[in-house]
Amino acid sequence: MKKATLVQLATIALIVSFSVNVSHAGGDDFNSVVKMIEQYYNVKHEGLSFLAKAAIKTMGVGAKIKGGSARQLAEAGSIRLAMFEDQNFTGDFMKFRSSLNDSLQDNWTPLVQTISSENAEQSYIFVKENGDKFSVLIVMIEKREGTVVQATVSAKSLALLMKDPEEGAKTIREEATIVDKE
Amino acid sequence: MKSLFQQPPRTLLLVAFLVMVSAFTTRAQGPRIQLNNLDHLAAKASDTVDVTIDERLIQLAAKVFNEKDEDEAQIKKLVQGLKGIYVKSFEFDVDNGYAATDVDLIRAQLREPTWMRILNVTSKKEGNVEVYLSMSGNDITGLAVLSVEPRELTVVNIVGPVDLEKLTRLEGNLGIPDLGVEAPKKKKNEQ
Repeated sequence: MKKATLVQLATIALIVSFSVNVSHAGGDDFNSVVKMIEQYYNVKHEGLSFLAKAAIKTMGVGAKIKGGSARQLAEAGSIRLAMFEDQNFTGDFMKFRSSLNDSLQDNWTPLVQTISSENAEQSYIFVKENGDKFSVLIVMIEKREGTVVQATVSAKSLALLMKDPEEGAKTIREEATIVDKE
Repeated sequence: MKSLFQQPPRTLLLVAFLVMVSAFTTRAQGPRIQLNNLDHLAAKASDTVDVTIDERLIQLAAKVFNEKDEDEAQIKKLVQGLKGIYVKSFEFDVDNGYAATDVDLIRAQLREPTWMRILNVTSKKEGNVEVYLSMSGNDITGLAVLSVEPRELTVVNIVGPVDLEKLTRLEGNLGIPDLGVEAPKKKKNEQ
């Protein structure tokens, strides 16, 4: 078998495993949050094809990290991503915030939560210990789009996030969702 | 002696009321102040920031901050012994987007003998900044900053051994906004 074919097969396997991981990890907080957003705002997150694209993109970031240009997710164990694009996020954000906090309070510690009613933007960062690493769950909702990112990060990345929570969350989200800039 | 259940209903009601009052005052008298009663302001505010760094996260911070990084080493040192950092900040598009009663709810918790106001800066242009220390004997057990501007209301509550100097060093880190509070100048013999 040619080397190029092997690489292609390996890529497909990685994409499939990533997508399956994102789509079928039933009963966990990431999926619960995605479902909660879907039910609360009556929206739908992107399907398999988009997730595959996201997987490629994530691998792209990984490659970039190896090259040494991006560092925040370098030590990350896994990234799970759900995106909502071009959809309508209208609803009482106070009720949403309360539901989100209630659903995560047993396992996660809220770090920072921001709401801008003027721009209809909400961001939530939750943290928990995960062995010798840490998990962060970031929910960002704007007027027409939303993102849920769960990432396992190293102590170094967590330190960055805690030093400047808003900037750190932005970095993690941007690195997990760079698609067209690559 | 009659047991509690044999008491007339009025006495039981009185006991229940006293227990509730005592529970509330006990909670309000500690170095952790209740900020949840400001949550309703988020619906009126143009921007809301809510930072919760509890003891678990502080311990994490102490663990993850790198001693070799000058900046992180300093934060690590500063957060040692702290039990929580809580920030709520609301920005409004119009003047007085919050009511005086909202501010009073916070001030009511910052009363003597537990709390002592150590700084009160009033500026017509920039509003009012009040800094309070919670004391237990000679030990500082917490700090609270209440910043009241016509279009902004910010409350910072740090639980644990903290003083003004520590606060000024923590400003801009760990979600603590830059409050513009100046640390007291050291006397010559302290330097």
